[in-house]
Amino acid sequence: MPPERLDKLATAWAIFQGLLLEAIPFLLLGVAIAGLARWAVPPGAWIERLPKNPVLAPIIGALMGFALPACECGNVPVARRLLASGAPMGTAFGFLFAAPVLNPIVLASTWAAFPDQPWLLVARPLGAFLVAILLSLLLVQLPETQLLARALLEERRMSQPLGDLGLLQRNSGVIGGSLSSPRSVSGRRLKAWQVLDQSCREFLDLLALLVLGCVIAALVQTWLPRSWVLAVGGAPTASILALMLLAVVVSVCSSVDAFLALGFAAQITPGALLAFLLLGPVVDLKLAGLFTVLMRPRAILITAIGASLGVLLIGQWINLWLL
Amino acid sequence: MLKRGTLLLLWGLTLLWSFHSGRLDLLLRGVFHSLVGITGLILLMLGVALLLKRGQRDERWLWHWLLSGLMAALVLILPPSPSFSDLASNRPQGLPDPPELAFVLPPEQRSLTEWVRYLRSQPDPDLVTGNPVRISGFVWRQPQGPPLIARLTVRCCLADATPAGLAVEWPESFTPKTNQWLAIDGTMSVQSRNERRIPIVIPTNITSIARPERPLEP
Repeated sequence: MPPERLDKLATAWAIFQGLLLEAIPFLLLGVAIAGLARWAVPPGAWIERLPKNPVLAPIIGALMGFALPACECGNVPVARRLLASGAPMGTAFGFLFAAPVLNPIVLASTWAAFPDQPWLLVARPLGAFLVAILLSLLLVQLPETQLLARALLEERRMSQPLGDLGLLQRNSGVIGGSLSSPRSVSGRRLKAWQVLDQSCREFLDLLALLVLGCVIAALVQTWLPRSWVLAVGGAPTASILALMLLAVVVSVCSSVDAFLALGFAAQITPGALLAFLLLGPVVDLKLAGLFTVLMRPRAILITAIGASLGVLLIGQWINLWLL
Repeated sequence: MLKRGTLLLLWGLTLLWSFHSGRLDLLLRGVFHSLVGITGLILLMLGVALLLKRGQRDERWLWHWLLSGLMAALVLILPPSPSFSDLASNRPQGLPDPPELAFVLPPEQRSLTEWVRYLRSQPDPDLVTGNPVRISGFVWRQPQGPPLIARLTVRCCLADATPAGLAVEWPESFTPKTNQWLAIDGTMSVQSRNERRIPIVIPTNITSIARPERPLEP
């Protein structure tokens, strides 16, 4: 192999190691806090007190990210648990889409990666909040039967009082049974060992995706001709679209995606940088699989299109403001 | 349980070894080193805990776990050895702000990065003509023109490394090799290149040195 190519390979290997070793502590922290939250705060009666107002519900859901900080992969099981326990749809979706960004771990990693760009610390959570509200308002327009995955819908109906639903809608029930006896889906606390076991599995699953993301980022940074990057990265709209596509493909967790963005940040517009950090936590290839436990394909498609348009608009606005 | 325990143990060892062997100096800014070490220790303990836990049924290997284990082993056995010149060439040259309150040091005490920062804040290069220079850095190949002497600065990790380079009037008897680390003593001067007046180091002594233990500057 020619020495120049060997040099490039060695450089890509070093960048890969730098990105990975920097990101692993934040990944572990995110998974640990999600596990602690699962163990310490099992869904219970507090779910019934959540507001059902279509605007207030997603706002409360989005803000719950501060109480249950985790990346998007950790949030999917939590959101599913919320929906299965009968939480308002807006709250669960607000949480699902905003919490991967609106949480202290993600904000800390964003700050660690971009200490020289304080505007990101405001624009990222604010943008994520707006996208989450938009998606929640869009999705709740669909009837539950077209929105929620079949198994989840059945679970959710089992936890809703028979005063709200008929036996046929529940697909089960005993005629003459008590009307006010929703099954407690998840009131019991998991054992500490179970949580540790689940969290280790979750960490290893996410670590493999992180490794893949770091490989792609290191290769792109080392081999993509700088003239190409400058040509795409400097164009306001093209750079946003390119980074949105990259976010979807790379599928890295929100707790560490800021470190990957570092690899491209210098060559792209600020709107594209924000678009990468906003879209990845809501839409990516890895989430497409995870979302099937929550939503029907049509709802997933609406989520992908709605989030992409929302993020594109926010990115354009940021470019207008900062360029 | 056995497989997950082994993987966590392997990753823990990889992080701890990276921390202990000093290779993090080549990859990350110093403030993150202890974070990596602590994470390695936690992963190691989790791995041991899973391996010691009995009475659980074992699971089969998943392909992405195998990939992750292979990568951990590769990171463990293949230390990073980047081409600093390649890294510098792929990066824009906006230097990060100095890490703390910057004092204007006497010229002979300024590092290469401090020289570059000073010259960027000082639009008239003629003001530094004749100042003594004692700097060290690597040889940064340029697509056009003679190579520069340079250092890399990082905010976070190698992925955001930003170069700071100074022109040198290389003596005819000396051929700088790309990525070679050099210590240069000399004086600062000014030359006109491409209708611009630029500061340039006139070396009186050039010594080849080993790569410093901490080649990245904040």
